[in-house]
Amino acid sequence: MAKDTPQDAARALEYKEKGNRCFQSGDYHGADGFYTNAINADPSNPLLYTNRSMSRLKLAHWDDVITDSLHAISLLPDNMKAYYHLAQAQIALDQPGAALVSAKKAHEYCVKEVQSHAKGAGSMGVITELVLRCKKEDWERRERTREKNRKGLVGEMVKLLESQRDRVLGEVDTGEKEDVETEYAEKIEEVRRMAAEVGLEGRRRKVPDWIIDDITFSVMHDPVVTRTGQSYERASIMEHLKRSPTDPLTREPMRVEDLRPNLALRAACEEFLHENGWAVDW
Amino acid sequence: MAFASRRLGKELSKIHGNLPPGITLVTAEGFEEWLLDVQVLDENPIYMGKLFRLMFRFSKSYPIEPPEVTFVNTTDRPIPMHPHIYSNGIICLDLLSTQGWSPVQNVESVCMSLQSMLTGNTKNERPEGDEQFVASNRRRPRDIDFYYHDNTV
Repeated sequence: MAKDTPQDAARALEYKEKGNRCFQSGDYHGADGFYTNAINADPSNPLLYTNRSMSRLKLAHWDDVITDSLHAISLLPDNMKAYYHLAQAQIALDQPGAALVSAKKAHEYCVKEVQSHAKGAGSMGVITELVLRCKKEDWERRERTREKNRKGLVGEMVKLLESQRDRVLGEVDTGEKEDVETEYAEKIEEVRRMAAEVGLEGRRRKVPDWIIDDITFSVMHDPVVTRTGQSYERASIMEHLKRSPTDPLTREPMRVEDLRPNLALRAACEEFLHENGWAVDW
Repeated sequence: MAFASRRLGKELSKIHGNLPPGITLVTAEGFEEWLLDVQVLDENPIYMGKLFRLMFRFSKSYPIEPPEVTFVNTTDRPIPMHPHIYSNGIICLDLLSTQGWSPVQNVESVCMSLQSMLTGNTKNERPEGDEQFVASNRRRPRDIDFYYHDNTV
């Protein structure tokens, strides 16, 4: 590969500026074109790929978003933005498991942005939301598979009962046939009823209070604890601290640096949502 | 206003049929303005047999920003007499100011605070300078710098 000259990098930035202007005015096709020119001039700048993937997200060109994001990550591994875009494309392509992994990476790098006071810290809210959405869709996907298996199992059990019934019917006198029919009809009905109940049960559980963030009333992904021992979702307590650097319960002075991750609670939230993804939208 | 509406939707589903005695939801259509009725439950002679109507107005950054809460006057709902409640319904309560608000407060807790503020009151009077304040004030309630001179009332 030819080595980039400073001229190329400068030309790339010019194209990028043009792309940004198109993007802001809603011309995502135009933006895509200028970012492509920028990348051709300077293929080593990861920012150009994340910019292009942003316009491709708008155009719903999911596969291209994935290609651009992976490229940007190969150039800059701690790439919050690229993982954020990647997760959105993966979710759109119905790959919630992979999307969750990407969204968690984006969140992890966003926490680092906060610690180094970088501007990516502003994305904490949307990234947290995306993580929770991925958790929900991942659960839904697993639930659909489980439901399908359950239905298959019910069908198999019904067939077994029916063939057993037919065998018995061949062996009994005409007068007893009706009783046998009734007995097996009841058994089959019971199997179906039990299966329907199992399906409902998982969805009817209560959302426990400990998983709820007291600021947004949403379930938590990354709880952080204050000096009082109360935990909040990192994104929402940060939003509060921007406005008022105080502990919400005691109003004592408090800064982002005073927050500590609550790892045990985080693991508990994770486990609960793994089994109860519906709780994201309680 | 995704942030505010999601939280308010959840508050609403918790509130439905579950409010403490003396507090009832009147309307909560949309996530901008809610009305609730409050009454004092003991035999405080100032408030006995009376109902009061509260209006909550939410900005799109609720609960990071406080709601705007005022008493409203209707034919059968007067503005309660209280040394911290102006006759136009504006309430002087630290909890509702930009300084004193905390995002862990919610509609229910604010109603309970106001109910208890009335319950504990023994003075059948308006704040000092009520007439002048009501005539001259053009500011939004949360932007007013009340002087919280007397925290015992």
